Amino acid sequence: MADIKIESEITGTVWKIETAVGNRVAEDDVLMILESMKMEIPVLATDAGVVKSIEVEEGANIAEGQSLVILEG
Amino acid sequence: MSAYEKILAEHEKQKAKALGMGGEKKLAARREAGRLNARERIDVIFDEGTFVETGMFVTSHRPEARDRSPADGKVTGFGKIDGRMAGIVSCDLTVLGASSSLNNVKKMGHMRRTAIRNGMPLIFLNETSGARIPDTMGAQGTGALGQDPTQFLRDREIPYVSACLGPSFGTGTWFTMLSDFVVMRKGACLAVSSPRVTSLAIKESVDPEELGGWRLHTEKTGIVDYAVDTDEEALELVRKFLSYLPSHCDELPPEAEPREAGADPEKILEIVPPERQKVYDVRKLIAAIADKDSVFELKPKFGKVATTAFARMNGKVVGFVATNPMFKAGALDPDGCDKIISFLVMCDSFHIPVLILTDTPGFLIGIEGERRKAPGKIMNFMTALQMCTVPKISIVTRKSYGQAYLNMGGSRNSDEMGAWPTADVGFMDPNIGVNVVYGVTAESDPQKFEELKAEITRDSSAYDLAAIYSAQTVLDPRETRDWLLDMLEVHSRGRSRGFSKRRLASWPTTF
Repeated sequence: MADIKIESEITGTVWKIETAVGNRVAEDDVLMILESMKMEIPVLATDAGVVKSIEVEEGANIAEGQSLVILEG
Repeated sequence: MSAYEKILAEHEKQKAKALGMGGEKKLAARREAGRLNARERIDVIFDEGTFVETGMFVTSHRPEARDRSPADGKVTGFGKIDGRMAGIVSCDLTVLGASSSLNNVKKMGHMRRTAIRNGMPLIFLNETSGARIPDTMGAQGTGALGQDPTQFLRDREIPYVSACLGPSFGTGTWFTMLSDFVVMRKGACLAVSSPRVTSLAIKESVDPEELGGWRLHTEKTGIVDYAVDTDEEALELVRKFLSYLPSHCDELPPEAEPREAGADPEKILEIVPPERQKVYDVRKLIAAIADKDSVFELKPKFGKVATTAFARMNGKVVGFVATNPMFKAGALDPDGCDKIISFLVMCDSFHIPVLILTDTPGFLIGIEGERRKAPGKIMNFMTALQMCTVPKISIVTRKSYGQAYLNMGGSRNSDEMGAWPTADVGFMDPNIGVNVVYGVTAESDPQKFEELKAEITRDSSAYDLAAIYSAQTVLDPRETRDWLLDMLEVHSRGRSRGFSKRRLASWPTTF
């Protein structure tokens, strides 16, 4: 199956990672929480799949459009 | 055999030929692939036994193609959805690729004029390869087109709805762009020209999904409201969408039996956290406020910082416009503006009151936004809001900052504004304001920073806003539904019997 790239929709920092490689996730499951504009912003799975890799670490600065998680659909 | 028997036998033969579409072999292949044919789709979408066809005996104008062009590839007619009349153009891909031709364009013109004149929605079931070749070749082929100068004029006298159930190019695409609601079957391709024509023109291979797939149109262009797996799901969504709209602009939206609220009002306090750094999904709030199970979201995967949805309040149709803190903290971006504008256009065109829920840190600023014409979008949004003459009732639930406060109905930009006690309204965050005005940050000079911050900070509470009557009341969040129902009654536009002035009816919404 094709890889699904989950990208950040906003510039900010990674506050908490809430999933792990190998986890099976459903659409709209929370994968990690970013901090931006003084808000805790969840990153949701766009599709159901299995977490293939996590591309960032907690505390990292991230830019809009940066790849955060790869799912295997 | 009597003379009449012969005539009628021939008539039955002609009918059977038309109903046989592109022949059993092609129809069997569709069945195999799980696709309904053009006539089965009509049977599914309309109430049983209500379809009446116009143009059954039309064929290609070219004598050599006459025998292989039943209904000339586009089945047209009228039928009922929940007892209300609608017109339909159903493409038959098995007949010359359902390509647009001299004669089937006459049928489409008749459908459009008849639907508009008599006040009924027009449904396009698209699965077409585009213009027919060789019919349109050369100066005379092309010059024969465009005989109706209002073909693509959209004044929203009636709703237009499109379902793209297969390839959709040329005319199929144009009418999709003009539609109020679009649903797409996954695997379909919606573009100016087919991937094959496109790749021949630009001399490189083109991926149909990239050129016009469902992800592109639900997430990036916002043209398509929903992508589904089957024909049946697509047709059901068309029926559902139309249940919220009047048949035409001279009637009000259909009412349903009033229902209880979607959730106990106490639940609202659980849905919206009082802590300003916590996010929540505004769609849960809308579902709690509106009549139970009455919410129908539009463009759910596009411009997600904003939520636009039809719903019912005591059985009457309303349109919710909200910022959604779940995405980008609810900071409005260009896609969010486009989404709200297109929704305001629909509400104003069909007399649907607008209910605005605001929780936004403002417009999302940045280079990407400027490149995508954010300032222009913000003013288009503002113009649309001010031209929109349906009742507009707004509530500030938490944050509402800067220009976004005005765009979301702040002060006189809605008919009545309430604020929850959790509201926080101002021009910008004082922490940022100190830096902007004085160039001092909490890190560079903590003491000075605190002094200056105290100096520029102004009260930003709901009561401060209500004290100058820019919010007309401060509401217990649990009273939200009751207050909205009261205000819908107050701002009922009684003198025009609830009809808007439809000033947005001709606004182009294919941003």
